[in-house]
Amino acid sequence: MPGETHNGMQCNEFETLLFDALDQKLPEGQQERFRAHARVCGKCGPMFAEVEAGQHWLKSLAEVESPANLVNEILAATTGIQSYRLQAPVAAEHRASLGERIREWADSLFAPVWGTVRQPRFAMSFGMAFFSLSVALSVAGVKPTDIKSADLSRSGLRRTYYTTTARVVKYYENIRLVYEIESKVQEIKKVTRPDERKQEKERERNHKNNTSGDPEPRQERNYSRDENQPVLASGPQNPLAVSVITTRRDV
Amino acid sequence: MAWEEIVQRYNRRIYNICYRFAGSADDAQDLTQEVFIKMYRTLSSYDVERGAFMTWLTTMTRNLLVDHFRKTKQDRVTDSMDAAPSEHEDAMPLSEQIEDKRLPPDARVQSRETGEVVHEALQKLSPELREAVILRDLQDMDYRDIASVLKVPEGTVKSRINRGRAELARLLQRIYRQVM
Repeated sequence: MPGETHNGMQCNEFETLLFDALDQKLPEGQQERFRAHARVCGKCGPMFAEVEAGQHWLKSLAEVESPANLVNEILAATTGIQSYRLQAPVAAEHRASLGERIREWADSLFAPVWGTVRQPRFAMSFGMAFFSLSVALSVAGVKPTDIKSADLSRSGLRRTYYTTTARVVKYYENIRLVYEIESKVQEIKKVTRPDERKQEKERERNHKNNTSGDPEPRQERNYSRDENQPVLASGPQNPLAVSVITTRRDV
Repeated sequence: MAWEEIVQRYNRRIYNICYRFAGSADDAQDLTQEVFIKMYRTLSSYDVERGAFMTWLTTMTRNLLVDHFRKTKQDRVTDSMDAAPSEHEDAMPLSEQIEDKRLPPDARVQSRETGEVVHEALQKLSPELREAVILRDLQDMDYRDIASVLKVPEGTVKSRINRGRAELARLLQRIYRQVM
């Protein structure tokens, strides 16, 4: 009964103090009074015993371990990145040799990078970049076999410098020699054929003075044949060749 | 705090709440993932001034558990010791319902861990009582925080905890009385 009094404590006061008593927060004297009421009261005693037993049972339940892959699954579901922190201690238990230790170290170093690289978006971007680069190189005519490792030592750099300089100077000298020879040949030509030059000048002058408006007579030139060499004319309908003798005409 | 650190720090706690409430490890794993996915989406809406992060997270977990309970409809007909026993209850007492029928009583006691028996008995509590005792006795939350999570007055929280503990004790007493 809520109003009943046992050992100087009413049942409603007992109920009020119930939680503090279960949480061990009651002062010593009050705790004694509380226990005494529970022993005597036919309603509060069994009720307290049940509640205390229930609390005891619940406290006996140990915390369970979450599944090992739970964190990875959560991270994969939220960010798309897998965690490697949990995997490291598991691997550490099995390490035996130096090689395995180095491999673990490398794994822990590259695992985050590898996690990013394994994403489809990254793989797609990398594939596109590689494709573009290979197309650009093939268009530019660069072959991977042509690429050699550069000698970056001091003597190597000096040697490369002098070799390149000598090559440029030699190329320049060769070009100059060619041009000089060419100009000499031109001069010799002018000297040896003054009549042709004169005729050419005359032709140019005539062309300038021609104000009749008539088209210039067509000139057929055949630079690979002699003047009296026959020219074979043939058509697809007429397999027979017709020989025509042409003579070069100077206008 | 980085997201991965949050997951590392709180996954076990959330998993335990889900496991004790839902009863099965598979459901608990799925629910824990759902909680974190929801948290990831709504993390920016968390206001430090409105309450502790743990309370916010537990509230979110509890809301998902309620949704899950409504969807699955498991334990819809919960056997409350306070309620009047129905015909079905007369035919099959609660203590029998949570027993393993495949084994004789002696073997049952030996083969099953006490924790498993308590865990199964916990599933027989009504969801209101179950969530209250889980938050108090398994998660060690104080009454004010529990009241905030469950959105009920502190007095109601205490009442539910009381009833939950008493009901669990009665269930377990029946089981052990039968197998002894």
